[in-house]
Amino acid sequence: MKLDTMRRHGLGEVVDAVVIGTGAGGAPLLARLAAAGLRVIALEAGRNREPEDYLTDEALSADLYWRGERLAAGETPQAFGANNSGIGIGGSTLHWGAFVPRVDARDLQLRQDSGQGRDWPIKLDELQPLYVELEAFLGVSGPAHYPWQPARHYPLPALPRNAPAQAMAMGAAQLGVATCNAPAAVVSQDFAQADGPTRLACVHCGYCHQGCRNRAKVSMDTTFLPLAVARGAEIRPGCFAHGLERDSQGRITAVLYRQDGREHRQLCAAVFLCAGAVETPRLLLHLGLGNRSGQVGRNYMAHVATQVWGTFAEEMRGNKGWPSSLMSEAMVRPRDADFAGGYLLQSLGVVPQTWADGVARGRGLWGRALVDYIDRYNFTAGIGINGECLPYDHNRLTLSDEIDETGLPKPHIAFSYGENERRLQAHATRLMTGIWQEAGATDIWALPRSAHTIGTCRMGTDPDDAVVNPFGRSFDIDNLWICDNSVFPSSLAANPALTIMALSLRTAAAFLDR
Amino acid sequence: MHNPKPSQGAAALSLFCLHCLGGSAREWQGVERELGAGISLVGIDLPGFGSAADVPGYSVAAMAEHVAAQVRAAAPGRWMLAGHSMGAKVAAVVARQAVAGAAGLEGLCGLVLLAGSPPGPEPMSEERRADMTGWLDGDAAHRATQAREFVAANAVTLTPEARAAAEVDVLRANPAAWRAWLQSGSREDWAERVGVLPLPALILAGAEDGDLGPEAQRRLMAPHVLTAEHHDLPHARHLLPIEAASTVARLITRFAALPPGETQPPRIPPHYRALLESGRTSTALRDALLARVAPEADTRRAWLPAGAYAVLEAALDRVIPQSPHARIDLAARIERSLAEDAGDGWRFADLPADAEAMHQALLSLDALGRLLHQDGFTGLTDAGRDTLLHRVADGQAAAAAPGLFDGSQMALWFQDLRAMAVKHYVGHPATLARMGYSGVASGGDGPRKSGFTRFGIGEREAWEPVALAGEAP
Repeated sequence: MKLDTMRRHGLGEVVDAVVIGTGAGGAPLLARLAAAGLRVIALEAGRNREPEDYLTDEALSADLYWRGERLAAGETPQAFGANNSGIGIGGSTLHWGAFVPRVDARDLQLRQDSGQGRDWPIKLDELQPLYVELEAFLGVSGPAHYPWQPARHYPLPALPRNAPAQAMAMGAAQLGVATCNAPAAVVSQDFAQADGPTRLACVHCGYCHQGCRNRAKVSMDTTFLPLAVARGAEIRPGCFAHGLERDSQGRITAVLYRQDGREHRQLCAAVFLCAGAVETPRLLLHLGLGNRSGQVGRNYMAHVATQVWGTFAEEMRGNKGWPSSLMSEAMVRPRDADFAGGYLLQSLGVVPQTWADGVARGRGLWGRALVDYIDRYNFTAGIGINGECLPYDHNRLTLSDEIDETGLPKPHIAFSYGENERRLQAHATRLMTGIWQEAGATDIWALPRSAHTIGTCRMGTDPDDAVVNPFGRSFDIDNLWICDNSVFPSSLAANPALTIMALSLRTAAAFLDR
Repeated sequence: MHNPKPSQGAAALSLFCLHCLGGSAREWQGVERELGAGISLVGIDLPGFGSAADVPGYSVAAMAEHVAAQVRAAAPGRWMLAGHSMGAKVAAVVARQAVAGAAGLEGLCGLVLLAGSPPGPEPMSEERRADMTGWLDGDAAHRATQAREFVAANAVTLTPEARAAAEVDVLRANPAAWRAWLQSGSREDWAERVGVLPLPALILAGAEDGDLGPEAQRRLMAPHVLTAEHHDLPHARHLLPIEAASTVARLITRFAALPPGETQPPRIPPHYRALLESGRTSTALRDALLARVAPEADTRRAWLPAGAYAVLEAALDRVIPQSPHARIDLAARIERSLAEDAGDGWRFADLPADAEAMHQALLSLDALGRLLHQDGFTGLTDAGRDTLLHRVADGQAAAAAPGLFDGSQMALWFQDLRAMAVKHYVGHPATLARMGYSGVASGGDGPRKSGFTRFGIGEREAWEPVALAGEAP
């Protein structure tokens, strides 16, 4: 994005806030604070790009992902990197899928309803207006009639269905499972973005996860960050924050960071830590800060994101079109569930290297069977879910004894499904298999996987039991705020980015009102 | 750096041979005498010729069905198909059925095309066609004269015995079959239905041949195969199996079993290269994809000891079996990428760092071979390697020695190995061409990307390539 004319601040200038991270958590509040006239600086570990630079090939897109090594442990160890962790100005929104369901009210009070999980200290009524505002600002494309909330209206027409979506719609209809076009943070028409270049309509190239080349897909560097810069924010790329200086009262006075091998110290009055559910707790644990509750790093969650694949007689070519153009909320609370919570269904097209990775790892194919199946790529289509993952104390991020190139210990993330996740996965696998059978697929198989990084710095009302208050403010250090998916008390079935952005606007408002 | 395959793995390649117009299975006798060990030649008389002179069905489809039935009856394991002139067109059609998964035709691993008549209409002047059509009609004297003339016109030098045998074959032909090929079979257009066959081919031409000479083979035949090894035989015209039997036998032997360690990289078929060079592919993407095909991409950056590297190569040959004629050097690419690339952001906590894990796992795999099969991994047969790798995949193979991986570590490493292998395999443009993948041409350089307009079930843009395996469009 264009940064050459942005306002710049001196290292010795005590700015109103430093924001660490420029993804869905950091970018909206950066824009909001700048618009309020505050002097704000964002530090981003990754580099600055132009959309034209992206390459429609997974291997060539490797630098879109956080490549510092994370140690995956537990019974269901989670893949990081390309699976869920971005880097660069815009953070993970550079590679996200841009599927933007809103949270279901029942997911915010799962414990109250089921006795399992943990409730949010926020009600849906507080989030709804933020969703509406975000969808308008970002240019969300969605169905004219949303079956599970008839009053909902999207600003742009839905993206057309690709072949996997058409097949899933047929199969689901046979089973009486309602579906609709999925809401997408992708513009279906040319869209005049406030304070940024026009975003051109989606051309259905299918490479959302490798960076959108014509700005159709929302990423922070094409939406909130140009707005932030226009309102006076400064964004510093290539800056890895590794320390916080504090005064005698324990309040933060400066952020220490490294840029091009050189150490810097930026004075500031407040810090927003928006580095995601791995880097945020990693820095706090490394510094020994903000953890009076002992909760930092605990309750790590990842959505149950099992996929089911089938082969069709006709060409599907799932690489074409917006990859998840059909969805269903029908299983947010399945009638026959033997588990708490529920899941969203999405149709899936996946580009070939990513798809083959799932085949080789998850299906376990090798030899002639692998080569022959890869030859059938054009005839395959998938369905996936995003399912509730309960918080468990033992699913936990800790620091390993290996030091990486940043000088910080590598994070060690132990993650194991519990009985609830296993049951949810089994239910979803049965349903998705049935949908594909109804749609005429053969050679149906399931790919177990988990998605997103959630939890580790949960919000709550009890300082002994939570890291931040319901607005993201640290209980321990009153000028430290956290805004990213680490503050989620529970996973929710909805994909997290839209809700992270809503929390970001909410946190900004709380900061301005403090 | 390659290890010879165990001897039993190299045995038993069946080579089914289809003759030219006016020929018979007998035309391959000279080739058969000089073929290398391990290749068994099966000559097939096409309907209307040789011993099948009374068998009806002269269309290309009928001849292909005749051949397919004979292959099925022979139930070969690994097999190749050779076609001479008219027989080459039939061979291409049978090959399409085989790669599309027709039952009983599994195991086809290459084509030998000699002065082949292409899948599309054969280039031939109408004058010549009209002249030849009546050659086998008329009285015995006329027929004998025409047979003599036909054989003489199609070879540079023949021994008297070979000449006589070839003339006998011409005279044995059913005149109806002869006419049918000239009037109809040679005109049939199978080019689209044959498509690009995902097979290696040895393409031979007589340097002094006419319409089906070297130029025609490159222009009309080569585009239909994934990789083509061309040889133009000097001092030869059209009856290559007869007039150049020794050379043909030597080239087929070498093609059927490349000497140990000798492999060829895959090529990007011309239609796919044209797609990459179109305006739908951005300049940066095109350059990067073509760099994956450059010879440097297969150059080792050696850090694994020779023994461990040999185990890696042997294991990868089982994970992604490839034709030696179109072989991406996955071991070299994985070794290089472990040395040079930034990581992918994570690893299993139960394994050491990626490069170290690779070395330890390869040592463990070799030790497991000795422990369970009394020989190191590279010393095992293909079946032995597969048995061991299945145990590894199941977590049931623990080397049980200090410094070596336990069963669950081996299973995790094998998962990583499979992922590394498919990454380099699927990312290669030759594989993307096999898959018929169109996503490499979804953008271009302009501000408004080209993308796709047809993406429903069964919908395809006019320019989209199709998968090479399976039915051609």
